[in-house]
Amino acid sequence: MTEYEAVIGLETHIQLNTTTKIFCSCKADSWFDPPNSNICPVCSGLPGVLPVLNRAVVEKAVLLAAAMHAEIQTESCFDRKNYFYPDLPKGYQISQYDKPLARGGYLDLPLSDGSCRRVRIHKLHVEEDAGKTKNERGRRLIDFNRCGVPLVEMVTAPDLRSADEAAQYLIRLRQLLRWLGVSEADMEKAHLRCDANVSIRPKGADYLNPKTEIKNVNSIDAVRDAIAKEIERQIREVEAGRRIEAWTLEWDEDSGKLRKMRSKETEADYRYFREPDLLTLHIDDAWKNGILKNLPELPLERRQRFMEQYGLPEYDADLLTGERSLSEYFESAVKAYGGDPKRVSNWMMNDVMRMLNESSRTAAQLQLTPEHLAEILKLLDSGTINTSTAKGLLEKVDASGKAPATIVAEEGLAKVSDDSAIRRVCEEVLTENPKEVQSYKGGKVTLIGWFVGQVMRKMGGKADPSLARQILEELLR
Amino acid sequence: MNDTRDLTNLTVTDALAALRSGELSCTELVRAFLERIERLEPRLHAFITLTPELALRQAAAADRQYTRARKSGESTPPLLGIPLAVKDLLALAGVRCTCGSRILDNFVPPYSATVVQRLLDAGVVVLGKTNTDEFAMGSSTENSAYGVTRNPWNVKHVPGGSSGGSAAAVAARMTPAALGTDTGGSVRQPASFCGVTGLKPTYGRVSRFGLVAYGSSLDTVGVFARTAADVALLFSHMAGFDPRDATSVDFPLPLPCLDGKTNLKDVRIGVPQEYFIEGIQPEVEGAVKAAITHLEKLGAVVLPISLPHTEYALPVYYLIAPAEASANLARYDGVRFGPRVEAENILDLFCNTRGQLFGAEVKRRIMLGTYALSAGYYDAYYGQAQKVRTLIKQDFEKAFELVDVIAAPVAPSTAFKIGEHADDPLAMYLEDIFTLPANLAGVPGLAFPVGFDYQGLPVGMQLMGAPFGEEMLLRLAHVYQQTTTWHLQTPTGVD
Repeated sequence: MTEYEAVIGLETHIQLNTTTKIFCSCKADSWFDPPNSNICPVCSGLPGVLPVLNRAVVEKAVLLAAAMHAEIQTESCFDRKNYFYPDLPKGYQISQYDKPLARGGYLDLPLSDGSCRRVRIHKLHVEEDAGKTKNERGRRLIDFNRCGVPLVEMVTAPDLRSADEAAQYLIRLRQLLRWLGVSEADMEKAHLRCDANVSIRPKGADYLNPKTEIKNVNSIDAVRDAIAKEIERQIREVEAGRRIEAWTLEWDEDSGKLRKMRSKETEADYRYFREPDLLTLHIDDAWKNGILKNLPELPLERRQRFMEQYGLPEYDADLLTGERSLSEYFESAVKAYGGDPKRVSNWMMNDVMRMLNESSRTAAQLQLTPEHLAEILKLLDSGTINTSTAKGLLEKVDASGKAPATIVAEEGLAKVSDDSAIRRVCEEVLTENPKEVQSYKGGKVTLIGWFVGQVMRKMGGKADPSLARQILEELLR
Repeated sequence: MNDTRDLTNLTVTDALAALRSGELSCTELVRAFLERIERLEPRLHAFITLTPELALRQAAAADRQYTRARKSGESTPPLLGIPLAVKDLLALAGVRCTCGSRILDNFVPPYSATVVQRLLDAGVVVLGKTNTDEFAMGSSTENSAYGVTRNPWNVKHVPGGSSGGSAAAVAARMTPAALGTDTGGSVRQPASFCGVTGLKPTYGRVSRFGLVAYGSSLDTVGVFARTAADVALLFSHMAGFDPRDATSVDFPLPLPCLDGKTNLKDVRIGVPQEYFIEGIQPEVEGAVKAAITHLEKLGAVVLPISLPHTEYALPVYYLIAPAEASANLARYDGVRFGPRVEAENILDLFCNTRGQLFGAEVKRRIMLGTYALSAGYYDAYYGQAQKVRTLIKQDFEKAFELVDVIAAPVAPSTAFKIGEHADDPLAMYLEDIFTLPANLAGVPGLAFPVGFDYQGLPVGMQLMGAPFGEEMLLRLAHVYQQTTTWHLQTPTGVD
């Protein structure tokens, strides 16, 4: 049997998180708002109104273009893309056609085998979104809120080779968008949208076969599933001696099936022409440099640096650079701590990240500052508190915002290492539990841990557990 | 001043002086015009919508303001109490805006065009919305879905177009001034046909916000009045940068007043040979040449010049304007505003609404434009037209290295008869051959009366200037009007 490889390209639309829309001053994000509540004469296309370009859109797009290593164009133009649809108020979409904001560029994907897949993009352009239509009880309802919401469109070259790589691309892109602060990049909320072009060919071949386009995929898992299904289908078809036709397919999330939407016999003619209501967009060096001043170190660069500078394993570095504020948190904590960065990493991956996940916050939203974390680690290192106190302290600091040392003092959490105090409690525990003492003496020595636990409970967790164990063993002998 | 006839004869400048002195009340003035409109409207049909209640309310407020100001000595807005008619292609908040089309029959904009708002802020009183060819597509006002406007000089003739309602209303003294729009000659040609003064400004000098788009890269808002001095005054309150129009230009405001000097020494007037072609009505050529000679006698230097790409202006315009229009008019789909022709599905709803509610000329231009932009034809038509447009623009740039203004006829003939070109769109398009180049080049143009033909119909002359050269055009026309009487003639046929 022939071995096949998939050839996949992704067309992505990214909703920029500007406050206002691209050509008017309406609020851009309407996720929580009722239909048609964020519209005005401009974005709903009333007669005689004109678009005025929102500079914040350009600035966010330029930042993204730079992060994608694309070449930002000093001159770019807006064009009208003409088609009739009820949710397209003007009958044309203002987009960029032959003179986009940026050209070229790529995103590198680290693969599980340690290699890297470079996924190229041809161009990056900005455009306005259209509205939403839905059919309800035989009526067609239109919500124009989304009209004029700023989008960036990026189309990749057919550089992806598996469903998993396609998913990886979206994960890395989402990470980058949030890192840059240019988009909320939530696929479920359509901040990040993706259509996939899929074809197969014998592994190692250098030609392209006819492709199908998959639309309506609303999550990264759905992209992975839909592409995997389509690759399987294409292999089956080819193995059965049938030809792949250039269909447009729709992903049905509920059934997990692809449905044919239409055959792609002819390309639509959008009759693009220059938007006469907008001037050529000039991005001069001063403006560009002003924007790029805010370009942060990118996630993959930081990941690499964490491995080199802090000696972190790839796994740790990857996790800690998953989100920008988390990586900044880590670095601040390492700096404040001054000790082994791996120790900080462990505490962050085990405890801090659990706290973030449980409360769905980002590191920047924690009351527990990196300095607090460092202080707790130092208290632990100096033997002032034990590990379980330290873990409890993380939550207490985060809840109160108080300094760890303050809480330790207020609540008397410092570890008790006074032999006589612990001995007294140990004796109490043994007196109160004669049955367990008998079992222990009868050979069930694993009960020692249970006795230690009882001592710790009585002492509010403040006892030095190793000392308690030592005394208990001595008393039970 | 009780004789209404006298009041409607007042120019803007004179009326303003009378209002300020208290010799005349704004209510009196507005009533005089409303009465005249009521009397003449059945014969001329210059308006689509009249706004008498609004006008009288504004007039009463203006009178109160004048009274207060006379007591307190405070200043009043520069055009307080001046009646104005507005072409029905410009939005006035709360008043129906049809654009001469059934497809906007019930459309009431919630906003005012920037230029309208500026004039309202300056104190004008709006009498109504004037008739226009549907979406400004036409040269006779015959393409209005609300009936044809008639020329006050001879009601069997057209007033020109597309701002025919505004031009006719000014000529017939139904208003002292009116706004128009000019995409290919729609202010200048009707000004010429009706014997009034009409300015098409430099592209970008007056905001297009609230002007319902036809050919966006060509559309301008202009103004009609009976004298160049009035046009200059109004224009000074129309121009200026608008943050709501990205193509508007931040250029110093024009001066509201023209000096009384009549010496044109050092002014170089270019006469382009391409505008005096075979087929031009001899009386038009004669009157324009006589006017040029008149300016020469006042000290101007007249030089023959060439604008070699003039002959391409017509085909270039009829590719670019319809192409832009095909997109600009796509929004009239019956979905969000305007009447809707119901159907079983959305495609039929679009087709029925547009098919039944757009007029023939609008559909013709939408089809022309759609074709010119289509895949496989773009390069040969729209793309090529853009290149030739650049050449036409360069013709003007070169010419303005040699001369200060260009003098030419406005149209090849005087006002033609209603129905004369009804079955021949090409003959209608030819009406615009002398006015299209200024739109393609984005330069200002001014039309004003310089004579009459044997039928007693006015002949206009056109002056074109370098970008932002409106003041030069207005000054020349003003000097001409200080020394001639053509602009003082009144059409008597309608009374």
